[in-house]
Amino acid sequence: MIRVKRLFSNYIFTRIVRAILTIFIVATLTFFIVRLMPGNPVEIYIGQLISQYGMSFQDAKNQAAALFSINLDAPLYEQYLYYMRNLLRGDFGMSFLSQGTPVSTMITAYLPWTIFSVGISILISFSLGIILGMIAAYRRGGVFDHIISTIAAILSAIPNYLIGILLLIIIGVQLGLIPVSAMRGTVSPGVTPGFNLEFIKDIFSHALLPILTYVVSTVGGWTLSMKSSTLNTLGEDYVTVAKARGLSEMRITFSYVGRNALLPLFTSLTMQMGFLMGGSALIESIFVYKGIGWALGASIAQRDYPVMQAVFLIITIAVIVANFIADLFYSKLDPRIKVGGE
Amino acid sequence: MDNRILSIENLSIEYSNIRGKVKAVRNVRLDLYKGESLAVIGESGSGKTTLGTAIIRLLPSSGYIKEGKIIYRGNEKEYNIAQFNESELRQFRWKEIAMVFQSALNSFNPVLKIWDQVLDTAKAHGLNNKSIVREKAMDLLRFVQLDPERVINSYPHELSGGMRQRVLIALSLILEPKILILDEPTTALDILTQRNIIELLRIIKKDMGLSMIFISHDLSLAAELADRVATMYAGAIVELGSVNDIFYHPRHPYTLGLIKAVPTVSSSFRELYSIPGSPPDLINLTPGCKFYPRCEYRTKGCEEAEPTLVEITPGHFVACLREGDIADGR
Amino acid sequence: MNWKHLLKSIFIEPLILISRDRAGLIGFIILLSILLMSFIGPYFIKLDTIVKLDQIYQFPSRAHILGTDNQGRDIFSQIVNGGKDVIVVAFLAGLISTLIAVSLGALSAYAGGFTDTVIMFITEIILTIPQFPLLAVLSAFIRLTNPTMLALIIGFLGWPALARAIRAQVLSIRERDYIEAARVLDLGRWHIIFSEILPNMLSYIVISLIMAMTGAVYSQVGLIILGLVPFYGHNWGLMIQLAWTRGAIFYKGSIFYILSPIIAIALFQWSAVTFTRSLEGIFNPRLRIGE
Repeated sequence: MIRVKRLFSNYIFTRIVRAILTIFIVATLTFFIVRLMPGNPVEIYIGQLISQYGMSFQDAKNQAAALFSINLDAPLYEQYLYYMRNLLRGDFGMSFLSQGTPVSTMITAYLPWTIFSVGISILISFSLGIILGMIAAYRRGGVFDHIISTIAAILSAIPNYLIGILLLIIIGVQLGLIPVSAMRGTVSPGVTPGFNLEFIKDIFSHALLPILTYVVSTVGGWTLSMKSSTLNTLGEDYVTVAKARGLSEMRITFSYVGRNALLPLFTSLTMQMGFLMGGSALIESIFVYKGIGWALGASIAQRDYPVMQAVFLIITIAVIVANFIADLFYSKLDPRIKVGGE
Repeated sequence: MDNRILSIENLSIEYSNIRGKVKAVRNVRLDLYKGESLAVIGESGSGKTTLGTAIIRLLPSSGYIKEGKIIYRGNEKEYNIAQFNESELRQFRWKEIAMVFQSALNSFNPVLKIWDQVLDTAKAHGLNNKSIVREKAMDLLRFVQLDPERVINSYPHELSGGMRQRVLIALSLILEPKILILDEPTTALDILTQRNIIELLRIIKKDMGLSMIFISHDLSLAAELADRVATMYAGAIVELGSVNDIFYHPRHPYTLGLIKAVPTVSSSFRELYSIPGSPPDLINLTPGCKFYPRCEYRTKGCEEAEPTLVEITPGHFVACLREGDIADGR
Repeated sequence: MNWKHLLKSIFIEPLILISRDRAGLIGFIILLSILLMSFIGPYFIKLDTIVKLDQIYQFPSRAHILGTDNQGRDIFSQIVNGGKDVIVVAFLAGLISTLIAVSLGALSAYAGGFTDTVIMFITEIILTIPQFPLLAVLSAFIRLTNPTMLALIIGFLGWPALARAIRAQVLSIRERDYIEAARVLDLGRWHIIFSEILPNMLSYIVISLIMAMTGAVYSQVGLIILGLVPFYGHNWGLMIQLAWTRGAIFYKGSIFYILSPIIAIALFQWSAVTFTRSLEGIFNPRLRIGE
């Protein structure tokens, strides 16, 4: 009974509603942009088919309909409903360029790699950042603090894709530490997927540069945020009282200072996930790491509209879901969030 | 046998500040007798809170003990708290001397339940038996008139300000300390809650035989609960005596001012009094008596040398050149 | 409204205070230098467009401070001439974002109620959509024919992030006494917003503007590198894009060609952020370091 009550509680419920609403709005926007804008891709495609392949208007229209998963004969609102229904079924249409390949197949092939690389990067960056930040706060004004804070400030100002190019140049080209051309793609040809060591080593070596880029470009921000949050927390009354109670340094640092200093950082966590997913378009393109970001870049360059439209929608959904999970996590950590409808 | 459980001898405390050194506590000499309640009264900046926190060595990082001793007599031994190292301090705090801080509103870790924080405290002092600790905690919560079951499983934000103050008081007693220091225990609470807390403290005083130090700017608190009162100004004690001495025979102009400033229910608006002027700059102190600029009784001699505490009647000490005149009502 | 006093507090006093904060001072000097170089430099150092195939990828020398590119052209002249377009678009986009954010944020905070809910709802939606992919997709549909269009779409997508912060600021100012007085005097909503509330937030708005600019630089250079901005003549982002598409990144000798624009952009971003951070410290004394 209590568990059901928690499910319908205010906090989670509003979040779910808002998430679904946003996804709905983005899907709708995508549809209308594709169909209504002057020089919209559907019209262009039909025109192309007619002029280049000499198709009849009806045939061209049918092909376009299949590709975009829209019914072009029906009135606009019906097309919209048809499109939405297909989306819910997971039918995103067919790719322009790879004729006959359903977009959904492409997405299932590319999306996991991005989630893999971005996910691991956030874990590493966040963990590293909060440790460094706390140390910098505890040793405020010292050498460690100055060096770390300066480096952190510099790193967080440089656009992440530029850091990617820098890493590529420095590590790959100038120092020759990594065989850059062999590192393209997410997995080496011929390696069998599965839970074996060879596969795991392989995917990590391919993901190394993207992950390194994400981590280097975000760790500075986490460090500075954690440092400031820790400094604030150290000034709180309950820390002084904890010392007065004779608690050990270790206990105070982790459970009294650490846990409380962490909390404000979670709002930034959600923003950062969205930002990194967005940046993946550039970073994966630079390293030719075949994830969803690379797919977006490639599909835009090739004007493969069905893929572009679907990938954009998926990226947004992925961000919304990730935010939702982070919010849930946060509500577990901070007892002041009223999860129950008390 | 020495009846004094705590002796502060020639204690001077300073804070480092960009502009210079803040002399917050200057050459204070004070004793706490076993089983008594001592009130330290003064305005903000008088040094009373610094004195209190220094006893358990919880000064902020910019503060330090310049000189002096803080002698604690317990377990048939004498210790100088001023010389304890970190690990000695950790064992000593809360077990021998506990301190309840001003306004418990933020004294608890927001992410831990009350029970976890009680257990933390017990474990830090070697008490690992959960059931014993729980029983003690429940007893104490009942003692401070809270519902133990409800409170012990709550998070701090689920309790009201008054409740948190009581929990903190209960927690302060869990290791059965010999001395309890309370810094502004009733400030920031509404008047009804204040009354409740004062009653609670009175019961603690009567039933537990603890020695207590109350730090406050509120004279009425001293009147209710103290056996002896010390008034502090600009880092030094200016008057010390029994509660009777202080309230019925005050001999220092500052004490006089404090008493006059307490409005009575029957006084009219026009009769409201406050000591003119403001506390001195503790970085650049003038020679002579520090209360001089605000004193009604000042004379030429006051500017030259700072008066020291002189025993005028048994147990009643005053640091003022003109105390004799004040006694005669001039 | 005492304009002289306002100008003094925005320009003179901060400059004095900045000189005390070492990092902020360095940031300010570098930022100023980059701006001077990008806007005044081109009058003195013309862009080298002459192809000299016998001087490809030369190391820095007295003739060419930063060396030459893959067609023998001087890199330093390219850097000097490469900042203007980027900075101008960034400024325009930042201005648009800030103007929209300030108006909507202030309105939302001041009006409250339904207006507030609606504006904040729209803000949330736009914020959730990842900004760069949206820009990339839009650039595929909207034909970007000139810099103003680019600035427009970046500006129109950048305001939600600022609007929330502005709203929070206005909310805190709204409760102050002089606002209460203006309300009692029935001075009208927009008048109160623009004549009473905003002037007190001028410093905050300036800081928001600079931060919006750095965000616009990020988006802009990103789009250029992906090849989605076809019209440009010459700028830092284009240098990086050319290096990438022509494989110059993988050639060891081209390091100066690729590093120069990256360092230029990085320096611009870093100095803007550092300068802003010390401005924050100045306008909000509680954040001041060391006091």
